[in-house]
Amino acid sequence: MKSISLYVDNGTYLTKVHPFTKLAYIAAAISVPLIGGRLWLFPLFIGVSICFLASGKILKRAVPLIAFSFTILITIFLIHGLFNQQNTQVLFTLGPLRFYREGLLYALHIGLNILNMLLSFAVLVLSTKPSDLVDELEKRGFSPRFGYIINSVFQIIPQMTGTMSTIMDAQRSRGMETEGNLRTRAKAFIPLISPVVMSSLINTRERAIALEVRGFGAEKKKTWLKDRPSHPGDRAAGIIFLLLIGGALIWRISTWL
Amino acid sequence: MSNLFKTKFDAAAIVLIPACIGINYLGKLFASVLKLPLWLDSIGTCIGGCLGGPIIGAICGAANNLIYGFTAGDNITLIYALTSLGIGVAAGIMARLGFMKSFPKAIVTACAAGLTAVVISTPLNVIFWGGTTGNVWGDAVFAATQAAGMPVLLGSLLDEIVVDVPDKLITLIVVFFILKGLPKKLTTLYEADSEIERL
Amino acid sequence: MAVIQVENLRYRYPHTEKLALDGITFSVEKGEFIGIVGENGAGKSTLSQALVGLVPQFYKGAYGGVVTVGGLNGETTPVSKMCSKVGLVFQNPFNQLSGARDNVYEEVAFGMQNLGVEREEMKRRMERVLKMLDIWQYRDRNPFDLSGGQMQRVAIASILVMEPEVVILDEPTSQLDPAGSEEVFRAVEKLTRSGITILMIEQKIEKIAAYCSKVLLLHQGKQIAFDQPEKVFSLDNLEDYGVLPPAFTRICRAKGLTNPDGTYPATEEGAAVLFSKDQREKELKEKKTGQKVHASEQNEKRGELLNPVFRIDHLTFHYSPESPVLKDLCLNLDRRPTAVIGQNGAGKTTLVKLLKGLLKPVSGNIFFQGEDIGQKTVAMLAGQVGYVFQNPDDQIFKYNVLDEVMFGPLNIGMPQEKAREEARRALELTGLKDKEMENPYDLELHERKLVAIASVLAMDTDVIILDEPTIAQDWRGRQIIGGLIRQMSQKGKLVLAILHDMDFVAEYFQRVIVMAHGQILADGRGDEVFSQKEILEKACLNPPYVSQLCSRLGYSGIYLTVEEFLKETT
Repeated sequence: MKSISLYVDNGTYLTKVHPFTKLAYIAAAISVPLIGGRLWLFPLFIGVSICFLASGKILKRAVPLIAFSFTILITIFLIHGLFNQQNTQVLFTLGPLRFYREGLLYALHIGLNILNMLLSFAVLVLSTKPSDLVDELEKRGFSPRFGYIINSVFQIIPQMTGTMSTIMDAQRSRGMETEGNLRTRAKAFIPLISPVVMSSLINTRERAIALEVRGFGAEKKKTWLKDRPSHPGDRAAGIIFLLLIGGALIWRISTWL
Repeated sequence: MSNLFKTKFDAAAIVLIPACIGINYLGKLFASVLKLPLWLDSIGTCIGGCLGGPIIGAICGAANNLIYGFTAGDNITLIYALTSLGIGVAAGIMARLGFMKSFPKAIVTACAAGLTAVVISTPLNVIFWGGTTGNVWGDAVFAATQAAGMPVLLGSLLDEIVVDVPDKLITLIVVFFILKGLPKKLTTLYEADSEIERL
Repeated sequence: MAVIQVENLRYRYPHTEKLALDGITFSVEKGEFIGIVGENGAGKSTLSQALVGLVPQFYKGAYGGVVTVGGLNGETTPVSKMCSKVGLVFQNPFNQLSGARDNVYEEVAFGMQNLGVEREEMKRRMERVLKMLDIWQYRDRNPFDLSGGQMQRVAIASILVMEPEVVILDEPTSQLDPAGSEEVFRAVEKLTRSGITILMIEQKIEKIAAYCSKVLLLHQGKQIAFDQPEKVFSLDNLEDYGVLPPAFTRICRAKGLTNPDGTYPATEEGAAVLFSKDQREKELKEKKTGQKVHASEQNEKRGELLNPVFRIDHLTFHYSPESPVLKDLCLNLDRRPTAVIGQNGAGKTTLVKLLKGLLKPVSGNIFFQGEDIGQKTVAMLAGQVGYVFQNPDDQIFKYNVLDEVMFGPLNIGMPQEKAREEARRALELTGLKDKEMENPYDLELHERKLVAIASVLAMDTDVIILDEPTIAQDWRGRQIIGGLIRQMSQKGKLVLAILHDMDFVAEYFQRVIVMAHGQILADGRGDEVFSQKEILEKACLNPPYVSQLCSRLGYSGIYLTVEEFLKETT
């Protein structure tokens, strides 16, 4: 079954780093440049993220993630480069289009921010098994109900998309068209989505029963199959990231004063 | 009024949430397979809100974006967790007020959900993307307003209205028809104030 | 002391008028194996859910009487506590998985984690149970990637590791293929030896007869009988309650062979004992066996004379070249009702999808009434070849049954009036006439399956393909489907069905095709196919119960159905 999780189980050190450490890194990578307010902080953290990804041998896997946001980045550059309200200084012209310095700078700011966010998240997403993250959260007192919801999404989506082709076949067998003009395609939406929506909602009843009969919601303290031995490096790294955020805050406040 | 937010948080509700998140995903998927010019990615959130109430709706919405953001790498959606949450709450409240009982009322719910989405998304768009939404039609409107020298916030608001209101309209219509078809033996599971009667 | 005590249990679902359970009273001792039988809608599942406390706590509604299991009161003890005493396994293998674990090992541990079982103890129990149910080798697999039978055993394992005193099996095999059912029944057999108390709901009545020490018969929520299987199955009016007695009971009843206490035997063994004692039968056996063979040859010739509807010519198909699904298949299909049998992965569904044009051959050709269908689209074939998918929930989307059934006919361009007429006729055939205005999702699964069948029948196609039509059906449902197969075939339509219910195949199909690993192992009339032991073994199939009895009695000819058996041996 094809998972929607992007986790790459390649056994590098990055997969063994505690999920919380990676979360702390994301917090630092996103907040430090925003708090610090200097443009060079963005490329700095982008560089760090790329190093992490490369050392975890998952840099290639991060490319589609970035490509995904490419269109929105281009729109931002176009719109702000051309039409930003602060635009005064023309940087260059492309045929009839005049691109302004202020707008492009603003777009660059946004673009770097997005890229930085995407890459820092990629570090977590590509190297962490979602259920491990949930397990760790639950061990620290996160509600098992929410834990269930998260884990379940990862199972339910491939299952639902799996039925999609069957439904398509079933409705086409009854003579329904799925190709053609917009009206035909729009008309096909309900016969296609309705069966899977209905059956997945109806299945919730049996699934709820399945959970009930397996003691879900019992008041007892839960136990786990696996232990994650805590690594001293995790602790140190976590502290460093939090110090960075604190440092950025102090620096920002002191420059104000 | 106290009834409006009353929520059962039992196994049935817990299982409903992932199903709704899956439905969101499928809506988006089918819309793209059929090349429809809409997102249709909040059908599940609205169903969650209508069946389980505003709180379940809120959880469906927020969890939807948080899960994708944190695990599937689609972290642009992370920021819009707040919007999804709002949509879920809006649909939930409207349904509890009886605004999903007939087709015209469902349209009112659609407008409420659409406007909630607009109000929450616009500031987010401005803060994070300088006003764009990533939707071709909406961004064309935004570009036009910027070219015409209108303020960013107003432009972004129009951008968002063009995108979100029609999308939520179609979404809620789909939801209305799905809810209408759900069997009683399922919907009774989500009735917040049912009691066991003694024979 | 009784481990289960039910006293005057009455229950009504919310928003309904009728009692789903009405005055149920019985008790079960530790270590007993109880069978619960009755037609669909008799209240069997409701009863099973009352025993774990889901009724009334999960469903609400109105409740009366007392249910005690292992000393816990089913009405007031939370299900999460009840579940340490009593475990429930139900029909659908998918929905029983927690849906939150990505390997079998963790899936099975889910319940124990909730109950707070210590880690080492969890591991010990899992190893023992997974090995007992023969799924230890799948422990690292994603549970959703397993076959139905494997998945169902995972579900049973997940319940067993919680070490309940009582296990309730609610039609655990009704949605499985034959191998899957066999796997599960083998697991059940191991359970019976472990001394655990078991309650099993099952439509495969012969299985109930083989395992149970007592049988509870329900009808419309009322308790009809609670007694030894021989006694319950010897009831004269059993058919009125929608239950067909085991084949062995029917044969012995017709022949007047009774046990010393006046009941008829319910198992193959019981029947065989009586047969061996009976002097008349001994003589008959010597005189009659092996006579039936020549009557068949005429049929054979008739079949070949007919024009083939489908001509399949050196057909090969694969999804990826490394794993071929169909290999160089040659086959003609005429208008005889034809059953395709074989294990999962034999290529049956792939074959019918190719016939329907949903898949295109990799090489070779399929001719439908002389025309190559390789060039045709699914839409072009929609009006000529009808295909009922296995899961009705993959297609149902309308608000009432009639609209659902009319969707296909309207799509293929039938005028409104004609479509309605055809739909009504199809609904009448499937016994859903008085349900045409109901919401399909308010119906039970077995009725939704009939809706799906009707929705294809209404398209009035030349060919009707049915994928596992008898899943989830009780005796009455099977009769309806059997009847419509006969009718369609009389009208000159080709009915082609993928089936796992061998007794059903034996009763209604003139031609049986056995498939394994993408090839045809045997092709012919039922008695020819079912008498070829090696081939059945190779395809992992069991012959019908009556044939099993024939071979046990040492008959050289094979009879497939009770009627045939009686006709030929008296």
